[in-house]
Amino acid sequence: MIKFVVFICGAIVMSFEILGSRVLAPNFGSSVFVWGSLISVFLAGLSAGYYLGGRLADVNPSSRKLSLIIIAPGLLFLTFPLYSAPVSDWIFVKDIGVRMSPLIASSVLFLIPSVFLGIVSPYTTKLMICSLHTSGKTIGTLYALSTFGSIIGTLITSFYLITLAGVNALIMGQGVLLIVLAVPLYFMNLSCSIEQTGPAGVRSDNK
Amino acid sequence: MLHKIFLAAFCIILISSKCFAVEPSEKLIFEKNSLYQYIQVIEDTVKKERYVRNQKKEYTQGGIYVNAPDKLLFEFTQMGFISLAFLDRDPKDVLFVGLGAGAMPKYFTGRYPDTVIDIAEIDPDMLSVAQKYFYFKENERMKVHVADGRLFVKRTKKKYDWIILDAYQNDSIPFHLTTFEFLKEVKSRLKDGGVVVANITSPYRNKFFDSMVMTYKKAFPHVAIFKGKKSANFIFMATTSKNRDKDSVEVRARKIQSSRKFDIDLEDIASRYEPSEAYEWGGAKVLTDDFAPVNLYQYQKSGAQ
Repeated sequence: MIKFVVFICGAIVMSFEILGSRVLAPNFGSSVFVWGSLISVFLAGLSAGYYLGGRLADVNPSSRKLSLIIIAPGLLFLTFPLYSAPVSDWIFVKDIGVRMSPLIASSVLFLIPSVFLGIVSPYTTKLMICSLHTSGKTIGTLYALSTFGSIIGTLITSFYLITLAGVNALIMGQGVLLIVLAVPLYFMNLSCSIEQTGPAGVRSDNK
Repeated sequence: MLHKIFLAAFCIILISSKCFAVEPSEKLIFEKNSLYQYIQVIEDTVKKERYVRNQKKEYTQGGIYVNAPDKLLFEFTQMGFISLAFLDRDPKDVLFVGLGAGAMPKYFTGRYPDTVIDIAEIDPDMLSVAQKYFYFKENERMKVHVADGRLFVKRTKKKYDWIILDAYQNDSIPFHLTTFEFLKEVKSRLKDGGVVVANITSPYRNKFFDSMVMTYKKAFPHVAIFKGKKSANFIFMATTSKNRDKDSVEVRARKIQSSRKFDIDLEDIASRYEPSEAYEWGGAKVLTDDFAPVNLYQYQKSGAQ
Protein backbone atom coordinates (compact mmCIF):
# COMPACT_ATOMS: atom_id res chain seq x y z
CA MET A 1 0.00 0.00 0.00
CA ILE A 2 2.72 2.49 0.97
CA LYS A 3 4.70 1.58 -2.12
CA PHE A 4 1.64 2.35 -4.18
CA VAL A 5 1.26 5.71 -2.43
CA VAL A 6 4.89 6.55 -3.21
CA PHE A 7 4.39 5.63 -6.85
CA ILE A 8 1.22 7.70 -7.20
CA CYS A 9 2.71 10.72 -5.44
CA GLY A 10 5.73 10.53 -7.75
CA ALA A 11 3.40 10.42 -10.74
CA ILE A 12 1.29 13.32 -9.52
CA VAL A 13 4.26 15.64 -8.90
CA MET A 14 5.37 15.47 -12.53
CA SER A 15 1.90 15.37 -13.98
CA PHE A 16 1.14 18.54 -12.02
CA GLU A 17 4.31 20.13 -13.33
CA ILE A 18 3.35 19.41 -16.95
CA LEU A 19 -0.12 20.80 -16.34
CA GLY A 20 1.45 23.76 -14.55
CA SER A 21 3.04 24.90 -17.80
CA ARG A 22 -0.45 25.02 -19.27
CA VAL A 23 -1.79 26.94 -16.32
CA LEU A 24 0.91 29.60 -16.68
CA ALA A 25 0.93 30.07 -20.47
CA PRO A 26 -2.19 32.24 -20.88
CA ASN A 27 -0.88 34.92 -18.53
CA PHE A 28 2.87 34.46 -18.64
CA GLY A 29 3.54 32.90 -22.02
CA SER A 30 5.85 29.99 -22.69
CA SER A 31 9.19 31.75 -22.58
CA VAL A 32 12.27 30.17 -20.98
CA PHE A 33 11.52 32.28 -17.92
CA VAL A 34 8.26 30.44 -17.46
CA TRP A 35 9.88 27.03 -17.75
CA GLY A 36 12.73 28.09 -15.49
CA SER A 37 10.32 29.37 -12.84
CA LEU A 38 8.14 26.32 -13.02
CA ILE A 39 10.92 23.78 -12.69
CA SER A 40 12.78 25.61 -9.93
CA VAL A 41 9.63 26.12 -7.87
CA PHE A 42 8.85 22.40 -8.04
CA LEU A 43 12.39 21.52 -7.05
CA ALA A 44 12.33 24.07 -4.23
CA GLY A 45 9.05 22.58 -3.00
CA LEU A 46 10.40 19.06 -3.14
CA SER A 47 13.64 19.87 -1.35
CA ALA A 48 11.79 21.73 1.39
CA GLY A 49 9.43 18.76 1.59
CA TYR A 50 12.28 16.27 1.87
CA TYR A 51 13.81 18.28 4.69
CA LEU A 52 10.57 18.71 6.58
CA GLY A 53 9.51 15.16 5.89
CA GLY A 54 12.72 13.83 7.37
CA ARG A 55 12.17 15.76 10.58
CA LEU A 56 8.49 14.82 10.81
CA ALA A 57 9.38 11.19 10.25
CA ASP A 58 11.42 11.17 13.43
CA VAL A 59 8.41 12.06 15.57
CA ASN A 60 6.14 9.03 15.95
CA PRO A 61 5.58 8.34 12.26
CA SER A 62 2.31 6.65 11.38
CA SER A 63 0.28 5.91 8.29
CA ARG A 64 -2.50 7.98 9.82
CA LYS A 65 -0.29 11.07 9.75
CA LEU A 66 0.83 10.14 6.23
CA SER A 67 -2.77 10.18 5.13
CA LEU A 68 -3.14 13.74 6.44
CA ILE A 69 0.03 14.75 4.58
CA ILE A 70 -1.52 13.43 1.36
CA ILE A 71 -4.95 14.91 1.95
CA ALA A 72 -3.53 18.44 2.14
CA PRO A 73 -2.36 18.65 -1.51
CA GLY A 74 -5.45 16.64 -2.46
CA LEU A 75 -7.68 19.42 -1.18
CA LEU A 76 -5.50 22.08 -2.82
CA PHE A 77 -5.84 20.27 -6.16
CA LEU A 78 -9.55 19.77 -5.76
CA THR A 79 -10.07 23.49 -5.26
CA PHE A 80 -7.38 24.53 -7.76
CA PRO A 81 -9.76 26.06 -10.36
CA LEU A 82 -11.19 28.34 -7.68
CA TYR A 83 -7.95 30.18 -7.02
CA SER A 84 -5.68 29.55 -10.00
CA ALA A 85 -7.28 32.00 -12.45
CA PRO A 86 -7.75 34.85 -9.94
CA VAL A 87 -4.17 34.47 -8.67
CA SER A 88 -2.72 34.39 -12.22
CA ASP A 89 -4.82 37.34 -13.33
CA TRP A 90 -3.83 39.35 -10.30
CA ILE A 91 -0.11 38.75 -10.82
CA PHE A 92 -0.51 39.51 -14.52
CA VAL A 93 -2.08 42.87 -13.71
CA LYS A 94 0.62 43.69 -11.14
CA ASP A 95 3.21 43.08 -13.88
CA ILE A 96 6.38 42.63 -11.89
CA GLY A 97 8.56 41.74 -14.84
CA VAL A 98 8.98 38.91 -17.34
CA ARG A 99 11.01 36.87 -14.86
CA MET A 100 9.38 37.71 -11.55
CA SER A 101 5.77 37.37 -12.70
CA PRO A 102 5.96 33.67 -13.62
CA LEU A 103 8.26 32.98 -10.66
CA ILE A 104 5.82 34.47 -8.16
CA ALA A 105 2.84 32.85 -9.86
CA SER A 106 4.54 29.44 -9.81
CA SER A 107 5.42 29.87 -6.15
CA VAL A 108 1.89 30.76 -5.15
CA LEU A 109 0.24 28.03 -7.23
CA PHE A 110 2.69 25.14 -7.08
CA LEU A 111 5.02 25.47 -4.10
CA ILE A 112 2.80 24.25 -1.27
CA PRO A 113 1.49 21.11 -3.00
CA SER A 114 5.03 20.15 -4.01
CA VAL A 115 6.26 20.62 -0.42
CA PHE A 116 3.62 18.15 0.77
CA LEU A 117 4.38 15.70 -2.01
CA GLY A 118 8.05 16.03 -1.13
CA ILE A 119 7.34 15.13 2.51
CA VAL A 120 5.91 11.82 1.34
CA SER A 121 9.29 10.41 0.27
CA PRO A 122 11.29 10.50 3.53
CA TYR A 123 8.18 9.89 5.58
CA THR A 124 7.25 6.70 3.79
CA THR A 125 10.87 5.60 3.86
CA LYS A 126 10.85 5.81 7.62
CA LEU A 127 7.59 3.87 7.77
CA MET A 128 8.93 1.14 5.52
CA ILE A 129 12.33 0.63 7.10
CA CYS A 130 11.97 -2.43 9.28
CA SER A 131 15.56 -3.26 9.74
CA LEU A 132 18.81 -1.42 9.39
CA HIS A 133 20.21 -4.43 7.57
CA THR A 134 17.78 -4.07 4.71
CA SER A 135 17.30 -0.31 4.91
CA GLY A 136 19.39 0.21 1.75
CA LYS A 137 17.09 -2.05 -0.21
CA THR A 138 14.00 -0.34 1.17
CA ILE A 139 15.29 3.15 0.41
CA GLY A 140 16.41 2.13 -3.07
CA THR A 141 13.06 0.53 -3.85
CA LEU A 142 11.12 3.59 -2.75
CA TYR A 143 13.37 6.00 -4.69
CA ALA A 144 12.94 3.88 -7.77
CA LEU A 145 9.18 3.66 -7.37
CA SER A 146 8.85 7.38 -6.85
CA THR A 147 10.90 8.24 -9.90
CA PHE A 148 9.26 5.53 -11.99
CA GLY A 149 5.93 7.06 -10.97
CA SER A 150 7.21 10.43 -12.13
CA ILE A 151 8.10 9.01 -15.54
CA ILE A 152 4.68 7.46 -15.92
CA GLY A 153 3.00 10.64 -14.71
CA THR A 154 4.91 12.76 -17.21
CA LEU A 155 4.28 10.48 -20.15
CA ILE A 156 0.63 9.76 -19.50
CA THR A 157 -0.15 13.41 -18.93
CA SER A 158 1.67 14.81 -21.93
CA PHE A 159 0.84 11.98 -24.31
CA TYR A 160 -2.75 11.21 -23.43
CA LEU A 161 -4.46 12.99 -20.56
CA ILE A 162 -4.17 16.42 -22.16
CA THR A 163 -6.25 15.20 -25.11
CA LEU A 164 -8.86 13.66 -22.87
CA ALA A 165 -9.81 16.44 -20.52
CA GLY A 166 -9.22 20.03 -19.58
CA VAL A 167 -6.32 21.09 -17.40
CA ASN A 168 -8.55 22.05 -14.48
CA ALA A 169 -10.42 18.77 -14.62
CA LEU A 170 -7.16 16.83 -14.63
CA ILE A 171 -5.78 18.69 -11.62
CA MET A 172 -9.04 18.11 -9.75
CA GLY A 173 -8.81 14.46 -10.74
CA GLN A 174 -5.39 14.29 -9.12
CA GLY A 175 -6.93 15.76 -5.99
CA VAL A 176 -9.59 13.07 -5.98
CA LEU A 177 -6.96 10.39 -6.46
CA LEU A 178 -4.92 11.65 -3.50
CA ILE A 179 -7.96 11.80 -1.25
CA VAL A 180 -9.10 8.34 -2.30
CA LEU A 181 -5.65 7.05 -1.38
CA ALA A 182 -5.55 8.93 1.90
CA VAL A 183 -8.84 7.66 3.31
CA PRO A 184 -7.93 3.96 3.68
CA LEU A 185 -4.45 4.98 4.78
CA TYR A 186 -6.01 6.83 7.68
CA PHE A 187 -7.55 3.64 9.05
CA MET A 188 -4.57 1.40 8.47
CA ASN A 189 -1.60 0.82 10.65
CA LEU A 190 1.32 0.30 8.36
CA SER A 191 4.17 1.54 10.45
CA CYS A 192 7.15 -0.67 11.01
CA SER A 193 9.74 0.70 13.35
CA ILE A 194 13.19 -0.60 14.07
CA GLU A 195 13.39 -2.86 17.06
CA GLN A 196 15.49 -1.30 19.73
CA THR A 197 16.08 -4.55 21.58
CA GLY A 198 18.08 -7.55 20.61
CA PRO A 199 21.82 -7.97 20.32
CA ALA A 200 23.63 -6.24 17.52
CA GLY A 201 23.60 -8.13 14.25
CA VAL A 202 20.34 -9.92 14.91
CA ARG A 203 17.75 -9.20 12.29
CA SER A 204 14.49 -7.86 13.46
CA ASP A 205 11.88 -9.25 11.12
CA ASN A 206 8.58 -7.67 11.68
CA LYS A 207 7.57 -6.80 8.18
CA MET B 1 20.12 -12.62 -46.53
CA LEU B 2 22.65 -10.46 -44.78
CA HIS B 3 23.26 -8.26 -47.78
CA LYS B 4 19.52 -7.77 -48.14
CA ILE B 5 19.45 -6.39 -44.65
CA PHE B 6 22.34 -4.12 -45.48
CA LEU B 7 20.56 -2.98 -48.60
CA ALA B 8 17.41 -2.25 -46.62
CA ALA B 9 19.41 -0.39 -43.99
CA PHE B 10 21.13 1.58 -46.72
CA CYS B 11 17.77 2.53 -48.23
CA ILE B 12 16.47 3.62 -44.87
CA ILE B 13 19.53 5.77 -44.33
CA LEU B 14 19.08 7.28 -47.79
CA ILE B 15 15.42 8.02 -47.21
CA SER B 16 15.87 9.41 -43.74
CA SER B 17 18.88 11.51 -44.63
CA LYS B 18 16.90 13.02 -47.45
CA CYS B 19 14.37 14.34 -44.97
CA PHE B 20 16.90 15.92 -42.68
CA ALA B 21 19.95 16.88 -44.60
CA VAL B 22 20.42 19.67 -47.01
CA GLU B 23 19.80 19.06 -50.70
CA PRO B 24 22.89 18.89 -52.91
CA SER B 25 22.16 22.35 -54.26
CA GLU B 26 21.70 23.73 -50.79
CA LYS B 27 24.31 25.36 -48.67
CA LEU B 28 24.11 25.85 -44.94
CA ILE B 29 25.04 29.43 -44.13
CA PHE B 30 24.05 29.73 -40.51
CA GLU B 31 22.79 27.55 -37.71
CA LYS B 32 22.10 28.07 -34.07
CA ASN B 33 20.25 26.52 -31.19
CA SER B 34 18.40 29.50 -29.85
CA LEU B 35 16.42 29.65 -26.64
CA TYR B 36 13.35 28.39 -28.43
CA GLN B 37 14.34 26.49 -31.53
CA TYR B 38 17.00 25.23 -33.84
CA ILE B 39 17.46 27.88 -36.51
CA GLN B 40 19.02 27.07 -39.83
CA VAL B 41 19.63 29.46 -42.71
CA ILE B 42 19.97 27.64 -46.00
CA GLU B 43 20.74 28.93 -49.44
CA ASP B 44 19.73 27.09 -52.57
CA THR B 45 22.52 27.96 -54.96
CA VAL B 46 20.63 26.77 -58.03
CA LYS B 47 17.25 28.36 -57.35
CA LYS B 48 18.94 31.36 -55.76
CA GLU B 49 16.66 31.25 -52.76
CA ARG B 50 17.40 31.57 -49.08
CA TYR B 51 15.34 29.99 -46.35
CA VAL B 52 15.08 29.95 -42.60
CA ARG B 53 14.21 26.52 -41.29
CA ASN B 54 13.90 24.38 -38.23
CA GLN B 55 15.84 21.47 -39.64
CA LYS B 56 13.25 19.72 -41.73
CA LYS B 57 12.60 20.92 -45.22
CA GLU B 58 8.85 20.88 -44.73
CA TYR B 59 9.21 23.23 -41.83
CA THR B 60 10.54 26.20 -43.71
CA GLN B 61 9.53 29.30 -41.80
CA GLY B 62 10.25 31.88 -44.45
CA GLY B 63 12.61 32.93 -47.15
CA ILE B 64 13.58 35.24 -49.96
CA TYR B 65 14.90 35.29 -53.51
CA VAL B 66 18.54 36.16 -53.10
CA ASN B 67 18.49 38.42 -56.16
CA ALA B 68 15.11 39.95 -55.40
CA PRO B 69 14.78 40.15 -51.64
CA ASP B 70 11.78 42.45 -51.90
CA LYS B 71 9.61 39.88 -53.62
CA LEU B 72 7.49 37.40 -51.69
CA LEU B 73 8.80 33.89 -52.12
CA PHE B 74 6.26 31.82 -50.28
CA GLU B 75 2.63 31.39 -51.11
CA PHE B 76 1.37 31.83 -47.56
CA THR B 77 3.07 35.21 -47.25
CA GLN B 78 1.42 36.28 -50.50
CA MET B 79 -1.96 34.95 -49.50
CA GLY B 80 -1.91 36.78 -46.18
CA PHE B 81 -2.20 40.09 -48.01
CA ILE B 82 -5.67 39.22 -49.25
CA SER B 83 -6.86 40.34 -45.83
CA LEU B 84 -6.21 43.95 -46.88
CA ALA B 85 -9.16 43.53 -49.23
CA PHE B 86 -11.41 43.00 -46.21
CA LEU B 87 -10.52 46.42 -44.80
CA ASP B 88 -12.53 49.35 -46.03
CA ARG B 89 -9.56 51.68 -45.55
CA ASP B 90 -5.77 51.72 -45.56
CA PRO B 91 -4.45 50.28 -42.31
CA LYS B 92 -2.81 52.82 -39.99
CA ASP B 93 -1.71 50.46 -37.23
CA VAL B 94 -0.65 46.90 -37.86
CA LEU B 95 0.49 44.10 -35.57
CA PHE B 96 2.39 41.01 -36.63
CA VAL B 97 2.59 38.17 -34.12
CA GLY B 98 5.64 36.18 -35.20
CA LEU B 99 8.44 37.57 -37.35
CA GLY B 100 9.81 34.62 -39.30
CA ALA B 101 12.22 35.92 -41.91
CA GLY B 102 10.43 39.26 -41.78
CA ALA B 103 9.30 38.99 -45.41
CA MET B 104 5.69 40.04 -44.83
CA PRO B 105 6.33 43.20 -42.78
CA LYS B 106 9.17 44.18 -45.14
CA TYR B 107 6.95 43.77 -48.18
CA PHE B 108 4.08 45.55 -46.50
CA THR B 109 6.03 48.57 -45.34
CA GLY B 110 7.39 48.94 -48.87
CA ARG B 111 3.84 49.48 -50.09
CA TYR B 112 2.40 51.26 -47.10
CA PRO B 113 5.31 53.38 -45.84
CA ASP B 114 3.12 55.52 -43.54
CA THR B 115 1.68 52.62 -41.58
CA VAL B 116 2.93 52.03 -38.04
CA ILE B 117 3.92 48.39 -37.57
CA ASP B 118 4.48 46.48 -34.34
CA ILE B 119 5.94 43.00 -34.48
CA ALA B 120 5.94 40.62 -31.52
CA GLU B 121 8.60 37.91 -31.72
CA ILE B 122 9.60 35.71 -28.81
CA ASP B 123 13.03 34.68 -30.07
CA PRO B 124 15.74 37.38 -30.14
CA ASP B 125 17.85 35.18 -32.41
CA MET B 126 15.10 35.12 -35.00
CA LEU B 127 15.32 38.91 -35.17
CA SER B 128 19.09 38.80 -35.68
CA VAL B 129 18.66 36.20 -38.42
CA ALA B 130 16.01 38.28 -40.20
CA GLN B 131 18.27 41.31 -40.04
CA LYS B 132 21.46 39.59 -41.02
CA TYR B 133 20.29 37.22 -43.73
CA PHE B 134 16.92 38.49 -44.92
CA TYR B 135 17.42 42.22 -45.28
CA PHE B 136 14.92 43.02 -42.58
CA LYS B 137 15.40 46.45 -41.03
CA GLU B 138 13.53 48.11 -38.23
CA ASN B 139 12.77 51.80 -38.54
CA GLU B 140 10.91 54.43 -36.56
CA ARG B 141 7.59 53.13 -37.85
CA MET B 142 8.35 49.44 -37.74
CA LYS B 143 9.48 48.02 -34.41
CA VAL B 144 10.10 44.48 -33.23
CA HIS B 145 9.18 43.72 -29.63
CA VAL B 146 10.91 40.66 -28.23
CA ALA B 147 8.00 39.20 -26.31
CA ASP B 148 5.62 36.28 -26.18
CA GLY B 149 2.84 37.08 -28.67
CA ARG B 150 0.07 36.45 -26.21
CA LEU B 151 1.66 38.65 -23.56
CA PHE B 152 2.20 41.45 -26.07
CA VAL B 153 -1.45 41.32 -27.11
CA LYS B 154 -2.61 41.28 -23.50
CA ARG B 155 -0.36 44.12 -22.41
CA THR B 156 -0.66 46.52 -25.30
CA LYS B 157 -3.04 49.44 -24.94
CA LYS B 158 -2.97 50.03 -28.68
CA LYS B 159 -5.63 49.02 -31.15
CA TYR B 160 -4.92 47.84 -34.64
CA ASP B 161 -6.58 47.83 -38.05
CA TRP B 162 -4.89 44.64 -39.10
CA ILE B 163 -3.45 41.83 -36.99
CA ILE B 164 -1.44 39.02 -38.57
CA LEU B 165 -1.04 35.83 -36.55
CA ASP B 166 1.87 33.88 -37.93
CA ALA B 167 3.61 32.36 -34.94
CA TYR B 168 2.96 28.70 -35.68
CA GLN B 169 5.69 26.37 -36.75
CA ASN B 170 4.60 23.06 -38.13
CA ASP B 171 6.37 21.07 -35.49
CA SER B 172 5.65 23.26 -32.51
CA ILE B 173 2.54 25.32 -32.21
CA PRO B 174 2.30 27.28 -28.98
CA PHE B 175 -1.08 26.21 -27.63
CA HIS B 176 -1.73 29.51 -25.91
CA LEU B 177 -1.81 31.23 -29.29
CA THR B 178 -4.59 28.97 -30.57
CA THR B 179 -7.26 29.28 -27.95
CA PHE B 180 -10.64 30.98 -27.88
CA GLU B 181 -9.44 33.18 -24.99
CA PHE B 182 -6.46 34.33 -27.05
CA LEU B 183 -8.64 35.15 -30.04
CA LYS B 184 -10.93 37.17 -27.78
CA GLU B 185 -7.91 39.12 -26.56
CA VAL B 186 -6.83 39.68 -30.17
CA LYS B 187 -10.34 40.82 -31.03
CA SER B 188 -10.28 43.33 -28.19
CA ARG B 189 -7.17 44.90 -29.78
CA LEU B 190 -8.95 45.49 -33.10
CA LYS B 191 -10.27 48.85 -34.17
CA ASP B 192 -13.77 49.03 -35.58
CA GLY B 193 -13.86 47.15 -38.84
CA GLY B 194 -10.40 45.71 -38.21
CA VAL B 195 -9.37 42.30 -39.51
CA VAL B 196 -7.37 39.35 -38.23
CA VAL B 197 -5.54 36.97 -40.50
CA ALA B 198 -3.85 33.73 -39.52
CA ASN B 199 -1.78 31.20 -41.40
CA ILE B 200 -2.73 27.64 -40.53
CA THR B 201 -0.80 24.74 -42.00
CA SER B 202 -2.54 21.43 -42.38
CA PRO B 203 -0.78 19.05 -44.75
CA TYR B 204 -3.67 16.67 -44.61
CA ARG B 205 -6.85 17.69 -42.97
CA ASN B 206 -6.23 17.08 -39.29
CA LYS B 207 -8.12 17.62 -36.07
CA PHE B 208 -6.13 20.75 -35.33
CA PHE B 209 -7.47 22.33 -38.50
CA ASP B 210 -11.04 21.34 -37.64
CA SER B 211 -10.70 22.79 -34.17
CA MET B 212 -9.16 26.01 -35.45
CA VAL B 213 -12.13 26.56 -37.78
CA MET B 214 -14.57 26.11 -34.91
CA THR B 215 -12.51 28.25 -32.53
CA TYR B 216 -12.31 31.15 -35.00
CA LYS B 217 -15.98 30.72 -35.73
CA LYS B 218 -16.81 31.05 -32.06
CA ALA B 219 -14.58 34.11 -31.54
CA PHE B 220 -15.53 36.03 -34.69
CA PRO B 221 -18.84 36.53 -36.46
CA HIS B 222 -17.34 36.21 -39.94
CA VAL B 223 -14.59 33.89 -41.04
CA ALA B 224 -13.39 33.29 -44.58
CA ILE B 225 -10.80 30.73 -45.62
CA PHE B 226 -8.34 30.74 -48.51
CA LYS B 227 -6.63 27.54 -49.49
CA GLY B 228 -3.09 27.41 -50.79
CA LYS B 229 -2.57 26.02 -54.30
CA LYS B 230 1.08 25.16 -54.01
CA SER B 231 1.27 24.63 -50.28
CA ALA B 232 -0.65 23.12 -47.39
CA ASN B 233 -1.44 26.54 -46.02
CA PHE B 234 -4.84 27.89 -45.20
CA ILE B 235 -5.38 31.56 -44.59
CA PHE B 236 -8.06 32.31 -42.02
CA MET B 237 -9.64 35.73 -42.32
CA ALA B 238 -11.73 36.98 -39.45
CA THR B 239 -13.66 40.21 -39.24
CA THR B 240 -15.68 41.71 -36.44
CA SER B 241 -18.09 43.97 -38.22
CA LYS B 242 -19.79 43.52 -41.53
CA ASN B 243 -19.07 40.59 -43.72
CA ARG B 244 -17.59 41.00 -47.17
CA ASP B 245 -18.72 38.66 -49.87
CA LYS B 246 -16.48 37.21 -52.53
CA ASP B 247 -17.39 39.78 -55.18
CA SER B 248 -16.59 42.78 -53.05
CA VAL B 249 -13.32 41.20 -51.93
CA GLU B 250 -12.36 40.64 -55.56
CA VAL B 251 -13.20 44.22 -56.48
CA ARG B 252 -11.26 45.58 -53.54
CA ALA B 253 -8.31 43.24 -54.22
CA ARG B 254 -8.08 44.55 -57.78
CA LYS B 255 -8.10 48.12 -56.53
CA ILE B 256 -5.36 47.56 -53.94
CA GLN B 257 -3.33 45.56 -56.42
CA SER B 258 -3.01 48.50 -58.80
CA SER B 259 -2.94 51.38 -56.34
CA ARG B 260 -0.27 49.85 -54.12
CA LYS B 261 1.63 48.13 -56.94
CA PHE B 262 1.48 44.60 -55.58
CA ASP B 263 3.57 42.23 -57.70
CA ILE B 264 1.54 39.25 -56.49
CA ASP B 265 -1.80 38.24 -57.92
CA LEU B 266 -4.22 39.39 -55.24
CA GLU B 267 -7.17 38.85 -57.55
CA ASP B 268 -6.29 35.24 -58.05
CA ILE B 269 -6.02 34.78 -54.31
CA ALA B 270 -9.36 36.53 -53.86
CA SER B 271 -10.96 34.05 -56.23
CA ARG B 272 -10.19 31.26 -53.74
CA TYR B 273 -12.47 32.85 -51.16
CA GLU B 274 -14.50 30.27 -49.28
CA PRO B 275 -16.83 30.96 -46.38
CA SER B 276 -15.83 29.04 -43.28
CA GLU B 277 -19.00 26.96 -43.58
CA ALA B 278 -17.20 24.96 -46.23
CA TYR B 279 -14.85 23.64 -43.55
CA GLU B 280 -16.94 23.67 -40.41
CA TRP B 281 -17.45 20.39 -38.69
CA GLY B 282 -19.59 20.34 -35.57
CA GLY B 283 -17.73 17.39 -34.10
CA ALA B 284 -14.55 19.42 -33.65
CA LYS B 285 -13.84 20.86 -30.25
CA VAL B 286 -13.23 24.55 -29.65
CA LEU B 287 -9.74 25.05 -28.23
CA THR B 288 -9.60 26.84 -24.89
CA ASP B 289 -6.93 27.70 -22.34
CA ASP B 290 -8.21 24.74 -20.38
CA PHE B 291 -8.36 22.28 -23.24
CA ALA B 292 -6.01 22.58 -26.20
CA PRO B 293 -4.27 19.34 -27.22
CA VAL B 294 -2.74 21.11 -30.21
CA ASN B 295 0.28 18.89 -30.78
CA LEU B 296 -1.70 15.69 -30.59
CA TYR B 297 -4.49 17.01 -32.80
CA GLN B 298 -1.95 17.77 -35.51
CA TYR B 299 -1.27 14.09 -35.87
CA GLN B 300 -4.86 12.96 -35.76
CA LYS B 301 -6.91 12.77 -38.89
CA SER B 302 -9.93 14.98 -39.17
CA GLY B 303 -13.18 13.34 -38.18
CA ALA B 304 -15.03 15.36 -40.81
CA GLN B 305 -14.58 13.02 -43.76
